[in-house]
Amino acid sequence: MRESIEAYLLIAPSLFGFVAFLLLPIIGVFVLSLFSWDLIGDPHFVGLANYRTLAGDHGAWNALDNTLYYVLLNIPAQTVLALLLAIALNRKLRGGKVFRVLFVLPWMAMPVALGIVWTWVFDPRNGVVNHLLALVGVAGPNWLTDKGWAMPVIASVNVWQYTGYTMLFLLAGLQAIPQTIYEAAEVDGVTGVQRFFRITLPLLRPSMLFVLVTNVIGSFQVFDTVYVMTQGGPGDSTTTMNFYIYQQAFQLFHAGYASALSIVLFVLILLVTACQFLYFRKRTVYDFS
Amino acid sequence: MTTRLLRRCLLYLALVLGAVVSVAPYLMTLNSSFKDTHRIFATQAWTPAVPPTFANFTQLWGKYQMSGFLLHTLLVAVVITVGQVTFCTFSAYAFARLKFPGRDLLFAVFIATMMVPQIVTLIPLFLVMSKLGLVDSYAALILPTVFGTPFGIFLVRQYLRTIPADLEAAARIDGAGTWTILWRIILPLSRPIMATLATVTFISSWNNLLWPLMVTDSERITVLTVGISALQGQFASQLNIVLTASALALLPLIAVFLTFQRHIVRSIALTGLK
Repeated sequence: MRESIEAYLLIAPSLFGFVAFLLLPIIGVFVLSLFSWDLIGDPHFVGLANYRTLAGDHGAWNALDNTLYYVLLNIPAQTVLALLLAIALNRKLRGGKVFRVLFVLPWMAMPVALGIVWTWVFDPRNGVVNHLLALVGVAGPNWLTDKGWAMPVIASVNVWQYTGYTMLFLLAGLQAIPQTIYEAAEVDGVTGVQRFFRITLPLLRPSMLFVLVTNVIGSFQVFDTVYVMTQGGPGDSTTTMNFYIYQQAFQLFHAGYASALSIVLFVLILLVTACQFLYFRKRTVYDFS
Repeated sequence: MTTRLLRRCLLYLALVLGAVVSVAPYLMTLNSSFKDTHRIFATQAWTPAVPPTFANFTQLWGKYQMSGFLLHTLLVAVVITVGQVTFCTFSAYAFARLKFPGRDLLFAVFIATMMVPQIVTLIPLFLVMSKLGLVDSYAALILPTVFGTPFGIFLVRQYLRTIPADLEAAARIDGAGTWTILWRIILPLSRPIMATLATVTFISSWNNLLWPLMVTDSERITVLTVGISALQGQFASQLNIVLTASALALLPLIAVFLTFQRHIVRSIALTGLK
């Protein structure tokens, strides 16, 4: 009895914050999506009108498209690079720990500041990238004002920022694979490429699942770099879901409609996450603990 | 033997290249903050700023309210960090060690919300803040996360579960209450995870743009992210100013990280494993 009271006293502050600022808003967003609200007056009920608007809204579909494109640009590049770095560091190396820290440094950078730095680095006339390209005789494009290049450049900020961080988890996963398995494989004559695809990769699945799930959820919510680098442009070629929701709510004052949009994003993230869990569950049968 | 040596060299070359790419944007930005407009356009990003000029910093301080942005951000981040570490540790201890009705259900609900994208809660949160009359105040910036987050509670709980329970059992037999155990046993043993949570929280509040952008608009509480993106919007062509501001936003976090780096690298990897 006494223990229960103490426990509730200990969790009371977090529980209050959780209910007031997380749980109620999550429930509230479903309610708000049935209302029309301009952020200033009182919301009034409109039923499913926001969802009907959404189905015919070209802007919403475009934002969804762009978000998926951003995720697809990000995740494979980031994961493959992180895996290569993790494999390189998963051996006794002089200076391995120093490299590990250096690779993680981008993770803590402020995306707003990175957006500014990247805009400068990819500037068509004064940017480092086009200067380097000029050295090998290539005329670089107008990166951020080119419809085809703007999104890959924005995605490259995220790849730069999260590759090292992702590497940390994969490295921890690699280090958890028992050495005896590799020794047994060597006796059976399994080496090189085969060893990687038949042993390392399958045994890395739990870490891979964690990394993919968290990175995909994060990527779906890109906002800061878009806000600073392109404001969704050129045209609406880099308008992602989060940016579109922000525009609808805080520039056009359609907060009810923005709530409906954020529910769509939420459901999409849930579906993608569920798919990842199902895919990995079917294929993960190893447990060393 | 020579092929092994060659492979070693290639490996190091790849690692050094990766390290250069990781660090170069920081160094180029810092370097440029000591150049005037003319030299930023006339020289390469990697040309050293010799002799350095400090005019960008004095301008940012005098003309662009940079000291205000830094101060507001620091205040918000410190208050949130202290609250997070305190309240997450309290909750995490209760969830990890005490028995109480509804514990597992409550913990499951906490964890489930970790998957909810931030944007989902922000519009209703704005409604809450406007009903409470808190829009455009420090309270609006601080309240949503100061009481702890599911991620923080999860992180500390995972760590506390690795501390042997015998220690506490022995202390309880000696008559120690929950508070004494928390203060005398748990706190000293969980310093590494508290350092990690503090750093992660500080970094994410320092870097947070979306919520401050929504809920504040007066200069007396403008935080760094909002201030800097406004600078970029208005003075994008004054590269020396916006890059110096970026350097000031980027570099303090590196100092914070390097201070606690040993704990963090290990703890971050821990959360992913189990």
